[in-house]
Amino acid sequence: MVALQTRRAAPPVHRRRRSPDTVRQRRAGVLFSAPAVLVILLFLVAPMLMALWVSLLHWDGQSNPFSGSARFVGGANYSELLGHDGLLRRDFATSVRNTLYYVLLDVPLVTVLSFGLALVVNQRILRGRGFFRTVFYFPSITSSVAIGVTFLFLFQGGGAVNAILSLVGVQGPSWFTDSRGLVQIVLAGTGLVDPGHLPGWLAAQGMGLSVWDWLAGPSVAMCAIIALTVWSSSGTFMLFFLSGLQNIPVQVEEAALVDGASTWQRFRGVTLPLMRRSTVLVVTLALIGSWQVFDQVYVMSQGSPGKTTLTPAYLSYTTSFGDGNFGGGAAIAFVLFAIIVLFTAVQRWFGRERS
Amino acid sequence: MTGRKRYARLVGYALLAVGTVLYLGPFLIQVANSLKTDPDAASHPLSLIPDPLSLVAWGKAFGFDTALDVPLVRWIVNSFVVTLSVTVGRLVIDSMAGYALARLRFPGRRAVTAGVLAVMAVPGVVLLIPKFLVLKQLGMFDSYSGMILPLLCDAVGIMLMKTAFEQVPAELEDAARIDGAGVLRTFAEVMVPLARPSLITVGILSFQGSWNELTHFLVATSDPKYQTLTLGIAQLTAGPLQGAQQFPLKLALATLSTIPVAVVYVVFQRHFVRNQVSSGIK
Amino acid sequence: MKALIAAGAAAVLLLAGCGSGYDSAKSDGGSDKPITIMFGSSGEAETGAVKAAAAAWQKRTGHQVRVVPAQNLTQQLTQGFAGGTPPDIFYTDPTMLQQYADGGSLYPYGDQLPKSTVDDFYPALRQAYTYQGKLYCAPKDLNTHALVINTDMWKAAGLTEKDYPKTWADLTKVATRLTTKDHVGLTVGGDHNTVGSFMLAAGGWFVNEDNTKVTANSPANLAALKYLQGNVQRKVFATPKSLDAQNPGEAFGKGKAAMDVDGGWVEGQLKSDYPNVHWTAVELPAGPKGRGTTVFSNCWGIAAKSPNKKLAVDLVKSLVAPGQQKAFMNAFGVIPSRQSLGTWAKQTDPKLTAVVDGVEYARGTVSIPGFTSVLADFDTQLEKLFTGGTSPQAALDTLQRNGDDAVKQK
Repeated sequence: MVALQTRRAAPPVHRRRRSPDTVRQRRAGVLFSAPAVLVILLFLVAPMLMALWVSLLHWDGQSNPFSGSARFVGGANYSELLGHDGLLRRDFATSVRNTLYYVLLDVPLVTVLSFGLALVVNQRILRGRGFFRTVFYFPSITSSVAIGVTFLFLFQGGGAVNAILSLVGVQGPSWFTDSRGLVQIVLAGTGLVDPGHLPGWLAAQGMGLSVWDWLAGPSVAMCAIIALTVWSSSGTFMLFFLSGLQNIPVQVEEAALVDGASTWQRFRGVTLPLMRRSTVLVVTLALIGSWQVFDQVYVMSQGSPGKTTLTPAYLSYTTSFGDGNFGGGAAIAFVLFAIIVLFTAVQRWFGRERS
Repeated sequence: MTGRKRYARLVGYALLAVGTVLYLGPFLIQVANSLKTDPDAASHPLSLIPDPLSLVAWGKAFGFDTALDVPLVRWIVNSFVVTLSVTVGRLVIDSMAGYALARLRFPGRRAVTAGVLAVMAVPGVVLLIPKFLVLKQLGMFDSYSGMILPLLCDAVGIMLMKTAFEQVPAELEDAARIDGAGVLRTFAEVMVPLARPSLITVGILSFQGSWNELTHFLVATSDPKYQTLTLGIAQLTAGPLQGAQQFPLKLALATLSTIPVAVVYVVFQRHFVRNQVSSGIK
Repeated sequence: MKALIAAGAAAVLLLAGCGSGYDSAKSDGGSDKPITIMFGSSGEAETGAVKAAAAAWQKRTGHQVRVVPAQNLTQQLTQGFAGGTPPDIFYTDPTMLQQYADGGSLYPYGDQLPKSTVDDFYPALRQAYTYQGKLYCAPKDLNTHALVINTDMWKAAGLTEKDYPKTWADLTKVATRLTTKDHVGLTVGGDHNTVGSFMLAAGGWFVNEDNTKVTANSPANLAALKYLQGNVQRKVFATPKSLDAQNPGEAFGKGKAAMDVDGGWVEGQLKSDYPNVHWTAVELPAGPKGRGTTVFSNCWGIAAKSPNKKLAVDLVKSLVAPGQQKAFMNAFGVIPSRQSLGTWAKQTDPKLTAVVDGVEYARGTVSIPGFTSVLADFDTQLEKLFTGGTSPQAALDTLQRNGDDAVKQK
């Protein structure tokens, strides 16, 4: 969840004369950075290597994985996960599908919303901007667990959201029990597709899921979780856009004003291009975050209804600690890692500065 | 022109009003419903006025009802012990490492900088099982040290402090050197005070992060006596109180867990927002 | 970066060397550490009763006991076993038995119990906890599915005791008659447990007699699923979730269903949450192949790594003693695991007569390692089935495929 703008770092360290200081500095440097290095080695690098080893084992969690008592199976956990038509692969494919829909909704929504908030809060003609900035940022500081509990309350069958919907004459869904995807609900509702008798091409399989399942769309439960994330993370992203907006030189805007450009023209022609870097940053962070959803699922749905809120991170956890299949759980974690790296790389490539 | 300006202002305030309702509404509903009886919360979830006003949920939260195992005091104590330890630990470790990387020339500096940057790219949830393995191997599973030490790994904070120290004018440091101050004294008496705003940011982020932390404690402990407030609420909601049971109690606990971070945020808000923006960190 | 990884690798080697918590063969000489009991509690009543039982033993022996209600027993146990710090005593069900036994985490102490005690356990339970010829743990109680009936709604529909359903056809008939615009006739938990009881009545089941082959894809199972699905589609049966309830007991208690397929535990729930509901329970109606119901139970597992195994066995002996089992039944409505207490149980709580009688022909839950996630997936299939997302045959096909996989991997 991190992106340091290292480019803005201060000038390099001053060159000094060689002096007795040098020796002292060398020693101090090593000593000062030692705790951080030690913590990183012990609780990040070493664990990763250990987990990599475990992902090559058939380990049920009831022996010492480093004593040779657990069976070495090589890449079997990975092929089970990606190649073998079984429950684990189907679950993994389901979690990837869920996350793809999550990305599809969450990333654009949160980007547009937080940009909008930043624009409004940045308007100089409005008073009390500091207050509103605080209001919009407030959800970002609370824990996803506490927010999860609250949203569960809002979205229950007879809850506040459905109460509001009924005010405008809409009968709200039972959010956390309907296991169908939005696309499925629409298609079945209009009678275009009968889920009991799927046409051949919809019943065709890919990674253990039928085309009908791949195209399901997010379930309403997943939509509720997406609403939560959009709501709670838009404040943080608003700050990114706000800092971008505040970095736009006043002269540029004034020049556009003198040209007689309309508000919309100014926005399209001046603001938007200058906000490119902030946008890329926000999209990247939202994208990485989307692949890591865990807390909300743990608190709100545990993957149900119908596994439509199952995420890779949650699956990795339950495979390990629920089924006692730690090799499989570790393999999921590493595949997830690879996916995140891949998506970030692709996204960076698309978002690169063009000359 | 003035007409258009007034119109724009009107639209702006309307948007802000809607936004405020949407962003504060859930918190108000949370607090209001924690003060209701179970049936009242179930049938009037949207109402902000409890009818009748009931402190039963809060009583339960504080253990005045034996029906549920809600050892709230233990949860809160655990949360504070862990959160404060992590915050203090990170402030020390991050500022020392940040200073070394920014200002001290020592062998391996570039490797460490690259390493810290690489660490930032590792997504947290990927570390669930790895962390469990290492804690188990070190015999730190189910212990406070196992809850605290792994959270001291904070690449973001190190880079933040590094940036902060790089921005301190070199002359100030040189002056201290000429006065004969050693590295440690220069660091503690000259550099750290100058980097105060960034220290506050790191402090708040650490406090907030470890107070709200769930996954690490989930894999680092199994004995309920190590439950923190966040973990306790999560396990209660996912376990015995799954679904639509006793929402007022759950909402009371959620409110309770929000208060400390809210207080910290409000107190340090000004430094925080500014610094978080300038460092570009979530 | 390279240096960092190299250093990390060195750290790993060190860690692998100093691993603690494993393989340290602790003696059974006993230790002063308190004995920990971890269990998945159904609520206040159960927690209180276990605490009281532990306190009584502690008073008698002077050895400390810690009672820990788990939020998620399976996950907390897995972590405990893997972390090398398992609780001494814990609830285990047949589903987990083989997995724990295979992993060497479970201490088989059946031979240390008096023969009279072992013989007194219901045969179905004894069999459920015997693995590779060893009785691993003492069954603590049992429960079976019965048909719970709201007597007020029953009378309002003009039905009498003579109308209690004997067959599936009867059940459909009364459910249809009991369905009004305010409530459905019957709520069935749409999970593998309830569906399993219907499979048994149809002559089917998930696995064969000795738990070695998956028999999901059978005409009998298909008949059971079709029967349930048909009635759900006709809206005379409904799953609790579709009635906005967390479990069937809640739907029944809230008056959203006139009948409920449930275990004896529903009594506690109704007593505490819905005291004004009048109800009775009868045996489940017979299916095409006669009566069928599932027996649910837990046993008192003891960790192989416990430093206090001797004391733990002694504590378990006191927990399964007739007096203690009676106390548990009085506290939270579980049926004693001893045959000799059957008559007593029926006299003490006549409402649970049907639940006790069910044991005679009941069958225990599946016991194959890795089957937990297979059944969890089946629950998902059932969820889809009852909301119109899949067909009975497709659901069973998936179950068969997943089950075969689990058996193969064993």
